[in-house]
Amino acid sequence: MSNAIEVDNLTKYYGRPGAGVLAVDHISFEVHSGEVFGFLGPNGAGKTTTQRMLTTLLEPTGGRIVINGHDLACDAYTVKRQTGLVPEESDVYAGLTAWDNLMFTARLYRVGRRERAERARELLETFGLWEKRDVKVENFSKGMRRRLSIAMAIIHKPALLFLDEPTPGLDAQTARAIRDLIRRLNAAGPALSGAEGTTIFLTTHQIEEANQLCDRVAIINRGRIAAIDTPERLKRAFQRVQSVEVALEPDGPETPRVSETLGVSLAALPGVTTSVKMGDKWRLYTEDPSALLPQVMDYARSQKLRVVSLNTLGPSLEDVFLEITGQQVGTVRHETSKRQEAGGKRRGARGKRGGGQ
Amino acid sequence: MKEGWTQRLGDELAQVWTVMVKDIRVYYLFPGMIMTGLLSPFFMFFSFSVRREMGATQGVARLLAMTIFFTAAAAGPFIIPLERRLGTYDRLLAAPMSLLTLLLGKTAVGAVLSIAVSAVSLAVGVVVFGASIAQPWLLATGVLLGSFSFSALGLIFGSIPTHNPGDVAMPSLLLRWGLLFVSGVFIPLGEMAPVARALAYLSPLTYAQDLMNHAVQGMGLLNPWLDLAALLLMGVLFLLPSVKMHQRSRRLGY
Repeated sequence: MSNAIEVDNLTKYYGRPGAGVLAVDHISFEVHSGEVFGFLGPNGAGKTTTQRMLTTLLEPTGGRIVINGHDLACDAYTVKRQTGLVPEESDVYAGLTAWDNLMFTARLYRVGRRERAERARELLETFGLWEKRDVKVENFSKGMRRRLSIAMAIIHKPALLFLDEPTPGLDAQTARAIRDLIRRLNAAGPALSGAEGTTIFLTTHQIEEANQLCDRVAIINRGRIAAIDTPERLKRAFQRVQSVEVALEPDGPETPRVSETLGVSLAALPGVTTSVKMGDKWRLYTEDPSALLPQVMDYARSQKLRVVSLNTLGPSLEDVFLEITGQQVGTVRHETSKRQEAGGKRRGARGKRGGGQ
Repeated sequence: MKEGWTQRLGDELAQVWTVMVKDIRVYYLFPGMIMTGLLSPFFMFFSFSVRREMGATQGVARLLAMTIFFTAAAAGPFIIPLERRLGTYDRLLAAPMSLLTLLLGKTAVGAVLSIAVSAVSLAVGVVVFGASIAQPWLLATGVLLGSFSFSALGLIFGSIPTHNPGDVAMPSLLLRWGLLFVSGVFIPLGEMAPVARALAYLSPLTYAQDLMNHAVQGMGLLNPWLDLAALLLMGVLFLLPSVKMHQRSRRLGY
């Protein structure tokens, strides 16, 4: 399997090396041709800095980048011809029409006169913008701008596409449409991306998006690659973040104020490392869900609570991400731990996991 | 290999044109451009020329020099920081073209605007005030060279690593106003004290004004070939700081 991207010992200091801010700390990784590669990390972890170095927008302090066999330091021109970039903010010209935006980009990438018109039509139709081709982009919604931005990035049929946070701020329907476009871009077929399909480097902090789209993900934290693998393998490596999700409600009028004490009580069950309130449910993290299930049932019976739903869950990619980056699952967990501390209980949110505080 | 270079050169020239046409379509009618690029030279001209004894040819020569200077240098400091703020500049930097190509495209934007506004100024001078042009070809060459040179000067300010056009607008205006008073526009070179004249020779506007005097009035203090050579040389030299600042921006992440 050939590599679309090879990164070796890539480093970026903002300021003087050694004295400035170390944004990317000697990272190395490869992206295989034809895959969707997710680059995950919390804000300030070094995602965008890395992506800007890969797209020639930022000069690395050290290290080597090879894209499609071309060293970026020596042959940026060739690399630029083979890559496309969709930045976080849609970089479309509001004063131009959708058609003119596409024509401008096509000319910039030296797409032939005949081909660019055909290509622009094809992309506008595919992205649902053909009817709006003569409308100035200043009248476009955020989702339409996003789609146009992606169309502009692929008008020259790049072998490698960099996507920076493609869906934040979009409504659910538009976000899903964009994800579908990304899948189609990656899939083989001449309609969108050329015969081979496009390798996609997806920078995101939306874990579920990466879970749905990516063949492999790298998790970057504080400038270093903390993990890199397929989403499923990463999840398997973190079995300790399995959980039991339970929704309980009073079985009669004689159980007042149940919600106030429920979190503390559930977190105190043997084997529970953390309890997190998620809407009307509680998620109880444990290394052994099968042992916890009967205890939850016993607790419900003893407290005269009715079990509305009870599920065991494997670790999600979000759990893995939070575990690796040392962040907490949510603020509710933090609140739960405070209550536990106040009640003199030592287990729960500050328990065995140790992360998240 | 030769064919490859020919192809590359053709591509880069086409990209200069593409960048220029896009900027003309997108930015010429922005209020900031209209104010600094179109109206400023006329305001300045009338502020310093009304109620002063001046012949039509002398007035046209002065107006042309000021128009070229102010209009050409207005585009760079306005467009690039704005594009950086909007995120569209990254698209240009990530495109397969050299930095020099991008900068030449941006230089051409200011130059074309300057040439167009100069043509209007000239038409007004000839038609309304009855001015005659002594050396039309020298005038055309001078307007062309001066426009590129001053646009490259403006580009230096646009290349300062910032996302805010306001950060560069003030220093850019200050420099232009400063040069206006030391370049023989309001006080002829021949009437300047030796120290002031030595200072004037450092300003590109001096050569543009002298060239306009030759072209419109048929007389100037310096050799017109020297004026042309100075404008050409300064135009090339003005691109160097822009290249350096763009390289610095790439290190800093702007």
